[in-house]
Amino acid sequence: MKAKHQRLILALAALVAIIGAGLLAVSALKDEAAYFYAPADVKAKGVEPGKAIRLGGMVVGGSLKRAADGVTIRFDVTDGKATVPAMFSGIAPDLFKEGSGVVAEGSFDAKGTFIATNLLAKHDERYMPRELEGMNYNASTHEMKAEQ
Amino acid sequence: MHRFANPARFLKIARPLTGWLFWPGLALILVGGACGLFVTPADYLQGQTVRILYIHVPAAWLGMGGWTGIAVAALMQLVWRHPLAAIAGRAIAAPGALFTAICLMTGSIWGRPTWGTWWEWDGRMTSMLVLLFLYLGYIALANASARDGQAGGVSNVTAIFGLVGAINIPIINRSVVWWNSLHQGPSITLRGSSIAMDLLWPLGLTLLGFSLWFGAIVLMRMRTILAQNKVEARMQRLARG
Amino acid sequence: MNQWAFVIAAYAVTAIGTGLVSILSWRAMHDAERAAAKLSERA
Repeated sequence: MKAKHQRLILALAALVAIIGAGLLAVSALKDEAAYFYAPADVKAKGVEPGKAIRLGGMVVGGSLKRAADGVTIRFDVTDGKATVPAMFSGIAPDLFKEGSGVVAEGSFDAKGTFIATNLLAKHDERYMPRELEGMNYNASTHEMKAEQ
Repeated sequence: MHRFANPARFLKIARPLTGWLFWPGLALILVGGACGLFVTPADYLQGQTVRILYIHVPAAWLGMGGWTGIAVAALMQLVWRHPLAAIAGRAIAAPGALFTAICLMTGSIWGRPTWGTWWEWDGRMTSMLVLLFLYLGYIALANASARDGQAGGVSNVTAIFGLVGAINIPIINRSVVWWNSLHQGPSITLRGSSIAMDLLWPLGLTLLGFSLWFGAIVLMRMRTILAQNKVEARMQRLARG
Repeated sequence: MNQWAFVIAAYAVTAIGTGLVSILSWRAMHDAERAAAKLSERA
């Protein structure tokens, strides 16, 4: 075997080992590295009241209600599997709206309502002009169809 | 590939190619940027801020592509002992770090009006910041080894660092899939694009333009290192002389 | 209109970064190749 081939095999073996070790470490990190809890995670694992976490999901359409004081809002957050109620007082980002993504920082109260101290808007991977808004979007094929 | 091991043969191609990459690249960047600023419609949700896409995406692509280039050069240096590979690796590092920094900065500027934050420690942003630190570490190692008489290239230790650091590239790519993140999932996949055509097309221009420009800068830096090597070798001969 | 401030800031950062690297890389190459050419003339 030529020295060059020896080096090639050695380098490739090292590369495979590094990538394997890296991916293993990353997959072990899976839960720790999550930036937020989805409502289903909260339901499955349980988060004690008062513990500071981030809650992420979609704002349920029709759930957004503004209190009489004008700054407090209530809304439901869902990930399709579970839904939790949330409350926030303050200025929400412009992109925060019903049917859109949200990441809320805060904690649960004793009754299971999420009291947010800060709201971040999370948008999805779609970009389109206003004329195309409202078209049906298929997330698995990226196809857009006019609404029937 | 060893055909280009001879610097004179490499330079014969690199000299005209530098301009042939640089000027069309710059023209495409300017045309693509202008179209992205003034021609395409605003996004239905984000409004005008979506225009940052046309520089943020090429910057991310070249920041990650740059490190892939460093890893390939490192492999060629370690396995085939190609004399130009070490020089190429060192030449890629600076523009690669520049684009990683531009990606982070434009992302931060984009995040404020859309997400409502300049910075969050989510998987995508953290792994991209790690890439910037990897570049800075690689540049420091490469400069140190070039001073230690590696003929303008990088030491084998630096090359191994470049190879090991490549593990971060798939992590960046998959970070929005593996973990819940604030950053949205990939828009452009093998199945297609979730960016409407009306908004997508200038991205093709800037993507190609920045890539050509990147190639031109790498060639310029390789030519710089080769010329410096020539001077250095000559000085050493005179000193011994 | 406020949105445009963010867009312009992002484009400005990119223009300054790429412009600076263009000029610095070209000048470094120009200087190094001239020094090398001078040496071969003397030889």
